[in-house]
Amino acid sequence: MEGNKYLKISDLNTYIKTMFDDNPYLKKVYLRGEISNFKNHTRGHLYFTLKDDTSRISAVMFYSNAVGITFAPEDGMNVLVEGRISCYPAQGTYQIYVDKMEPDGLGNLYIEFEKLKAKLAKEGLFSEIYKKPIPRIPKRIGIITAPTGAAIRDILSTIKRRFPICETILFPALVQGRDAAPDIVKQIKEADNGNYNLDVLIIGRGGGSIEDLWAFNEEIVARAIFEARVPIISAVGHEIDFTIADFVADMRAPTPTGAAEMAVPTISEINNMINSYEIRLNEFINNLLHKNKLRLDNVTNSYILKNPLSLYELKEQKLDNYIDTLNNYITKKLDNYNLIFHNLKDSYILKNPMNLFNLKKEKLTYCEKNLYTNINNIILKEEHNYQILINTLKLVNPLGILEKGYSLVTKDNNLIKDSSTLKEDDIINIKLHKGNVKAKVREVYYE
Amino acid sequence: MEKSFEDALKELEVIVKELESGNVELDGAIDKYTEAMKLAKYCSEKLNSATAKVNKILTENKELIDFEINE
Repeated sequence: MEGNKYLKISDLNTYIKTMFDDNPYLKKVYLRGEISNFKNHTRGHLYFTLKDDTSRISAVMFYSNAVGITFAPEDGMNVLVEGRISCYPAQGTYQIYVDKMEPDGLGNLYIEFEKLKAKLAKEGLFSEIYKKPIPRIPKRIGIITAPTGAAIRDILSTIKRRFPICETILFPALVQGRDAAPDIVKQIKEADNGNYNLDVLIIGRGGGSIEDLWAFNEEIVARAIFEARVPIISAVGHEIDFTIADFVADMRAPTPTGAAEMAVPTISEINNMINSYEIRLNEFINNLLHKNKLRLDNVTNSYILKNPLSLYELKEQKLDNYIDTLNNYITKKLDNYNLIFHNLKDSYILKNPMNLFNLKKEKLTYCEKNLYTNINNIILKEEHNYQILINTLKLVNPLGILEKGYSLVTKDNNLIKDSSTLKEDDIINIKLHKGNVKAKVREVYYE
Repeated sequence: MEKSFEDALKELEVIVKELESGNVELDGAIDKYTEAMKLAKYCSEKLNSATAKVNKILTENKELIDFEINE
């Protein structure tokens, strides 16, 4: 069939794709080129074109590989890539599927720069607390840069123009190439060894490519700047380039000329300063003299100094005051005592002494009378008590019992209570209420 | 030894501030004022009569020699 000789495009592209995929030379390809048309897809895949002076190739880097790259690719960046070549059948294009990508040359420097910057920042080398102040009026300035070229010329001419009385010492150093960093470090240490009495040190060079400036991004240079005791102004490159040295230095100048301007004042600035000091001094002294003159005038015009006699008068008056006070006091005291004396003299008692006597006599009479009454009462009461006692006694008096008809038997004055104490023919005494009987015992009955 | 310009200026600054702080007796103040005015005059003369210093360069042998820019 006539139509059978026409292929489907997809079939052709698929066939071509197998040709790429089967070719062992295209399974792993290393390319160096510049990125253009860079596009970071929202899903994380990177699409771009790699090109050199004459050719270009499409490139894709899938997300799984792209996450591993340590820099931010962008247009114009030179990169080294590793990948395989294959075909994208849908578009009929071949492209490189990138597995690895890293910056080429400059890019590597850029990464180093960022790494070192982060490291030193973390250590605190850029911290404001370590920044030393730049003296306003330096006596001697050290300069570390190349002895030829624009940088040293700009620095010296600026210093000469602004503040020619300042001394400068150039510590010549390589500022470019592999040996530049150690050379700069050597000269920083030399300048900072205390032999040169530097007030400030300028370290710098003119502008250049990032490779040209690289010595100022080296760690040893950064640490030497940080450790130096003398305040350091860095002046590296163009205004837009910051180097690590700029971050560490006590002050950063955009250009060598700028560094010199920061390091020294102008003659006229200093002249103005001196003038202002003179004005302030004169104002101060005039003020002070005026104030003291006023004080002196006040004192010399005072009443006392103008009328010395008044000082005496014042004392006289004071003495009078004292005398008056004293007199008043004494008079008052005397009056007081007089009054007391008169009161005493006029007292009723003293005027009527008999009254006192009568009073006492009355009291005596009263007492006597009282005493009598009381004694009588006591006697009466005691008599009454006595009677009661007598009556009570009468009740218990054995003689009282005899009155009721009982009698007492005694023998030899011993009261007989038991018949056993008697025997026949004992003589006993029987006491009756009235009279006694002497009797002889005839018979005894014992109980 | 002659006082350096920088030291004289620093001294001047110190005295002005001291006087303006108001803690100086009259006699002392006048002495200090006189001294400060001398310092100001000295600085001013020194500054305006000073000739440019010669630039120096440190050689490999650690010697300081005059340095001229070769234009």
